[in-house]
Amino acid sequence: MIRFALFGAGRIGRMHAENLARRTDAELVYVVDTKPEAARALAEPLGARQADAARAFADPAVDAVLIASSTGSHAELSIAAARAGKAIFCEKPVDLTLPKVDACIQAVRRARVPMFVGFNRRFDPGFRALKQRVDAGAVGKLEQVVITNRDPGLPELRFLATSGGLFLDFTIHDFDMARWLLGEEPVEVFAWGAVLVDPRVRTEAGDIDTAMLLLRTASGRLCHIANSRRAAYGYDQRIEVLGAKGMLRADNLAPTSVEHFGADATRTDNPWPNFQTRYAAAYRAELDSFIRSVERGTPPEVGPEDSRQVLVLAAAALESSRSGTSVRIRPTRRGGRGSGTLRTAIQTANALLNSARKRG
Amino acid sequence: MLELAQFGAGRIGRIHASNIAATQGVRLRYVVDVDAEAARKLAARHGARVAGEREAFADGEVGAVLIASSTDTHARLAIAAARAGKAIFCEKPIDLSLQRLDECLREVEKAGVPMFVGFNRRFDPSFHALKERVGSGEVGAVEQVTISSRDPAPPPLAYLKVSGGMFRDMTIHDFDMARWLLGEEPVEVFAFGEALIDRRIAAAGDIDSAMLLLRTASHRMCHINNSRRAAYGYDQRIEVFGAKGMLRAENLGASTVEHFSARGTIADRPLDFFLERYAAAYRAELAAFVAALRARQPMPVGARDGRQALVLAEAALRSMKTGKAVRVE
Repeated sequence: MIRFALFGAGRIGRMHAENLARRTDAELVYVVDTKPEAARALAEPLGARQADAARAFADPAVDAVLIASSTGSHAELSIAAARAGKAIFCEKPVDLTLPKVDACIQAVRRARVPMFVGFNRRFDPGFRALKQRVDAGAVGKLEQVVITNRDPGLPELRFLATSGGLFLDFTIHDFDMARWLLGEEPVEVFAWGAVLVDPRVRTEAGDIDTAMLLLRTASGRLCHIANSRRAAYGYDQRIEVLGAKGMLRADNLAPTSVEHFGADATRTDNPWPNFQTRYAAAYRAELDSFIRSVERGTPPEVGPEDSRQVLVLAAAALESSRSGTSVRIRPTRRGGRGSGTLRTAIQTANALLNSARKRG
Repeated sequence: MLELAQFGAGRIGRIHASNIAATQGVRLRYVVDVDAEAARKLAARHGARVAGEREAFADGEVGAVLIASSTDTHARLAIAAARAGKAIFCEKPIDLSLQRLDECLREVEKAGVPMFVGFNRRFDPSFHALKERVGSGEVGAVEQVTISSRDPAPPPLAYLKVSGGMFRDMTIHDFDMARWLLGEEPVEVFAFGEALIDRRIAAAGDIDSAMLLLRTASHRMCHINNSRRAAYGYDQRIEVFGAKGMLRAENLGASTVEHFSARGTIADRPLDFFLERYAAAYRAELAAFVAALRARQPMPVGARDGRQALVLAEAALRSMKTGKAVRVE
């Protein structure tokens, strides 16, 4: 039995809480939120209690923390949890700045606690089956990966203004999928961003809403990512992998498989409308993976180092979209320095984040 | 009756000749080829005569020429046809050199003869329907176009060596599709190119795998992915994403039969290769050429389109070498 303290009683926190409540090998003990009423409202119906952070960390009955609070608090809470000796499940991203991610990596290593980062898409049954087949050699040597990721609709402009921008907030999932599927680290990134959905994304939030990117690994494997903040037909989540012996493709999923053959056309359901519905199984499976790794003492499947690498790719994309040149990334060890362009990239990303914070 | 002289009796020439035979109001009068035996066979099949270039151009009865010979002869024949006042149907590409292509363009424009360039994919029934629906506003303003274009297997190395390289030889089709579907001229190109399939392709100075991005002045974007080898067949797909939705045209199989078995559901692989996949497109492009001639309408795809595709190919090459997005005029 793994006992959890949950940080964050918002949308994603609620989902994790409900997933925990359904399990027989886990128990939700505390819910912590900056708004105690929200924490109480979530905790009590599930048989848990509202608490403040200090109490949750101090209670030796708590084995693990699940951090689903706002992004800006992830690193700090993770470090505190590591010091308290708790196993950590942290929502992605660990942080939007490299120094904080690095501090987190260090704290976790020093405390020797496991830390899992919630890149949920790796746990989607379709994508996971695809990856397993890639690994089993079903398509031979991998050559090209194509990732389509489009949101159903623009989030609130207020959210966008403080999100860190499309590459850091949204494409971050695709960078993780790219690394995972390519089987090699991308060493070069090219990106174009645009505002095609709503001009206020630029004027009010200083962000972009549309992007296309290319990544390349050292051995020349190629990856394309297509992003949009608005797909009229739903949440567009597709992957294809081309190899020497064939292609694997995972298409969108829909609520039902019913097809309507009408006089004018044949119609099927639209893809699931949002991430909560599309990735419901993935959220359950990632929790499963975390709990098993804690029980068995095995390393978590996705860790803070992955979050760090994805951040580097996002910074490179940002720099590329401004310079019109591809940005090279030297394979980095933890704390290692990137190339000159990458340093610029990280500076650009940090400057952007700071201005976003001021707006927020 | 429109009398045609056809140059080239090879693989693609045979397709065009039988399409001419199946088109009303058009007659294949001459077949011209350096391979006399091939010319004789093809001419005999369609009741045409074998002729030399000079004879074909000099014959006042010949209203149009169809150039389906090897790429390096296209420009020369098109110039000769223009000087002889013939309408021109020319297989893509017009030439691999922009300079030579421009020379051809000047002659054609000076002579005032119509010239059609065989970007057959525009005439594929599915892609054509997709484009019409884009045009009628079904998906609103176009934002992203994705073109997958993968050959079933690499051509012989001897061909690759004279092909002008993947971008000029293969991606040229995708550049044309991109221009056509984006509805605006791409003004910037970025390309990654790799030789992942066969080292001898790299040794021959070419690539066999590529991913490209194009963008227009209003920032519409297009992705092209290319490979010289798709184990599952000839992979030809298009997706257009707009404000109001997405249009997608998938691969076609030889049949729609699906086999539900204990080990999974099995469908036909995509049609393999271009002669099969684009059989209807080759018929439709010829019909479009003939219809435009008859109606004295401008050609639906002309020499300027051939030029612009080549300009994009050269920009892609420069981008691949420099790692920078390259602007095109």
